Amino acid sequence: MTAAAEAEHVRGSDPRSAGADRATPPRGRSAVLIALAVLGIALAAAPLAFDMFTRAPKGATMLADFKPFMTHSRLDGFQSDIAEIDAAVHEVDAKATPRLASAPGATPRAYDDLSQQWPTINSDMTDLLDQVQANLGNYHAVAALPSFRLFPWFFVIPGLLIFGVALLALLRPSARRRARVALAVLGVGLILAPVVFQMFTRAPQGGRMMSAFRTIETTQNVTKIQGYFSTMAGGQGAIRLQIEPALQQSGLTASQVAQQFPAVTALDRDWVHILNDMTPMIGAMSDNVTSYQAIAALPPFPLFPWFFAIPGLIVVALAWAARPRTATPEEAS
Amino acid sequence: MTRRVALIAVPLLLAAACSSGHSSPDVSGTPLVGTFRLTAGACTAAGATGTYFRMIDPGGTIEKGKFFGNPDSACEDKSFTVENAGTDGGLVTGTYQPDPAQPFDATGNARAAQIARPSSFTAIKFAISTNAKDPQTKHAAPAPQISVKDGTLSGQITAWSAAWNNQYFNQGSPKPDGSRPGLTSPLTGTYDAKTHAFVITWASQVVGGPFNGFTGYWQLQGTFAPTQ
Repeated sequence: MTAAAEAEHVRGSDPRSAGADRATPPRGRSAVLIALAVLGIALAAAPLAFDMFTRAPKGATMLADFKPFMTHSRLDGFQSDIAEIDAAVHEVDAKATPRLASAPGATPRAYDDLSQQWPTINSDMTDLLDQVQANLGNYHAVAALPSFRLFPWFFVIPGLLIFGVALLALLRPSARRRARVALAVLGVGLILAPVVFQMFTRAPQGGRMMSAFRTIETTQNVTKIQGYFSTMAGGQGAIRLQIEPALQQSGLTASQVAQQFPAVTALDRDWVHILNDMTPMIGAMSDNVTSYQAIAALPPFPLFPWFFAIPGLIVVALAWAARPRTATPEEAS
Repeated sequence: MTRRVALIAVPLLLAAACSSGHSSPDVSGTPLVGTFRLTAGACTAAGATGTYFRMIDPGGTIEKGKFFGNPDSACEDKSFTVENAGTDGGLVTGTYQPDPAQPFDATGNARAAQIARPSSFTAIKFAISTNAKDPQTKHAAPAPQISVKDGTLSGQITAWSAAWNNQYFNQGSPKPDGSRPGLTSPLTGTYDAKTHAFVITWASQVVGGPFNGFTGYWQLQGTFAPTQ
């Protein structure tokens, strides 16, 4: 179809163009529609460019794996676990070690390791838990977003729809009016999506969580925490199986040990619970190092709402630009 | 006729082996099908003999460690956790000795007891089992196979799984996906055809979970009792 014929076709098909309206120069409108088609393809291809189909599901996995631990009560529990170990170490150092100093073997090596490393372990673990606790709200904000698994499709589906409608309008000028309306609706939808999902507030919160986890979710840090766990387990075992029997051998009865060493007794009582609590968290941290890295390789979270809003604005603007031009009185006459 | 059958059967068997999804098992020689009855581990001045387990820290080596010290170990060297035979007397090849329907008690103690009796590891019992579907990786795992050739044992122990604290750790070699990550080493050992005495060792790196990167080193020692 030639440009003139196309213009004539449009005028004939659009009732509004019969009188006052006349089509904008067809070449210009075609260019706008081509731009819309290109924008649609770019939007649909964005997840491929950012490897979102691989990375986004890892984000969903990470959020799901951390979910059991991301509650105030659970995190408070971890803090009290650390406080309990801290109290027991101080109690052994202050009261048991001096009492056993003259005994052969004094304190076992596994306990000495814990006692020496405890200030560092305590500080690092408390810092880690503080950081996680400080990001509890950020975590829940991200978790409240639609599933990360769906994210690539939020680009692909509107992108393909924009491309398809723009292509249809290019190939069938008679459908251009309806196509423009459809494109405008799609554009408005893209603008509204981040508003509806509260992405303008939640995505920056996600960004803050990702920043906070940058030093936590590393192989080096996880290996360090595994080492801390090993030291704590060895030290607790030494308290339970060597120091307490040694205290009894030094002349204290079991009830006197319980009375004079309440923090040690509490740690003994709660140790299995602490293991039940702590090892799955270390497991989740370890299992999600690669997931974190995958998400961190995506564009920064705070930009995500704009990845919808800006294309949406452009689509609306281009749909508006593709409207038939209103004829001037001179042209009409 | 026999030759013709062999010509057809051998490629078919090879094709079946290749399509199983596992790397070729380290099985050569005469298969030993039966029970590898375990001799209980015993602590010694140098460490331990018999059946035992050690865990190597990430970055360590099988020979020099650094090893994870199990405070509940009966040995002076806490890196050795000695094992005792379970209700089946030991490892049975050619079949599975799976986790029970309730693999853990309320505090995370593992309950499988066919191969070895559950042992305490940092106050919680761990247990061994072999399962058609590995409980950690959720992948299919073949039943253990061990063969002997000139007194040397080889085979695969992919399905070997440790359970502890409501968690599972595949301790097989090769892994259910056929890989041998890190320090994971093939099953090897010695076998005396006259006395049926055996010693089997292998190492298997933990992949995933709280002990990710740690490596389990296993020694099984005892007497082989073939299936009648």
